[in-house]
Amino acid sequence: MKMTRIIHSSLVLLTTMLLLGAVSAGHAQNNAQNNAQPKLKASAIQILMFQSNEVNLPLQFQVALYENTIEQVEKSHKFERVYRDGDQGAANVPDLVVLHTNVYGFKKGSEEERQVLTVAGATQIKVHCQFTDKSGKPELERDITGKVRFLGGNLRATLDFGKKVSQIVQQNF
Amino acid sequence: MKMSPSISLFLAASAFLAAAVFFVSPAFGQDTDTVKAKHVLGLEEVKHNTSGTLTIGNGNLEFTKGTIKKDVSATTITEVLQGADTQRTIGGTLGTLTMFGPYGSGRFLSLFRTKIDTLSITYVDASGGLHGAVFTLPKGAGVAAKRALLAQGAKTTVPLDSGTSPQPATSQKPLGTKP
Repeated sequence: MKMTRIIHSSLVLLTTMLLLGAVSAGHAQNNAQNNAQPKLKASAIQILMFQSNEVNLPLQFQVALYENTIEQVEKSHKFERVYRDGDQGAANVPDLVVLHTNVYGFKKGSEEERQVLTVAGATQIKVHCQFTDKSGKPELERDITGKVRFLGGNLRATLDFGKKVSQIVQQNF
Repeated sequence: MKMSPSISLFLAASAFLAAAVFFVSPAFGQDTDTVKAKHVLGLEEVKHNTSGTLTIGNGNLEFTKGTIKKDVSATTITEVLQGADTQRTIGGTLGTLTMFGPYGSGRFLSLFRTKIDTLSITYVDASGGLHGAVFTLPKGAGVAAKRALLAQGAKTTVPLDSGTSPQPATSQKPLGTKP
């Protein structure tokens, strides 16, 4: 009886250690991958208006995505200047990075459902982001999802998206 | 000195009418119109979710909150669309605090909602940079605001009488299209 208990405890301990080891190895691998990628260099970025040819994205979401992304990228302080779509000043910047976006998934949730049911009514916006140089050569591509699950209005998903873009900018520039 | 009942009634009715004229916000559609609005996001130097007044007139859209005043010339507006939405009747910090109320009372209060209109605009600045702004207005004021902006020289891809769902104007070729 005592022997069984000891074996059982040893097995639990071993499993826990194996799980912890796997998790830490995964983190180390991710960090190594992040460190291995050379950082891109650019003094300015131009953020183009969000395109949504595949989904019917309401203008308020399109505007909110655009404005929140500009605001969050400005807050990252990674670039000397953040240019808007159509800004003529961007033409004179030699090492300009241009952010092209395409919204390919949009699920408008309900703030009421989120507040009443908690588990339902999430808003999701899926965007394909492509950072290119001035000539249009792709430098970095990512799929980013902006979400709001609990507190806040539907437009909060665009703020979540903007923060994620800012994180990617901080990691790669 | 005692006032006769008819004079008292007349004075009370006059006071009521004067108060009604003073407190009711004028509707959009005249030369200069003002309505209470909330700036959700977009205008520079104005914080998100700021309540103030929206004035459309003299060729401008103007948002005012205390000493903060932000003007957008109507002729620079490239797109204006109105929509409908709802918001919690008890909102803000108090609304968030009610979520922690006992026996699901916060959730129950979330069921009480107010209908609102949204007004989204895109406009260009002097250097050609594209800006966008979103406002919420009392129900019914969205269409009137759009009509007033169009009368002042703003442009839209969705005319007021079409009634179709808005599809924003696109100026760039999309990149990185996902299947």
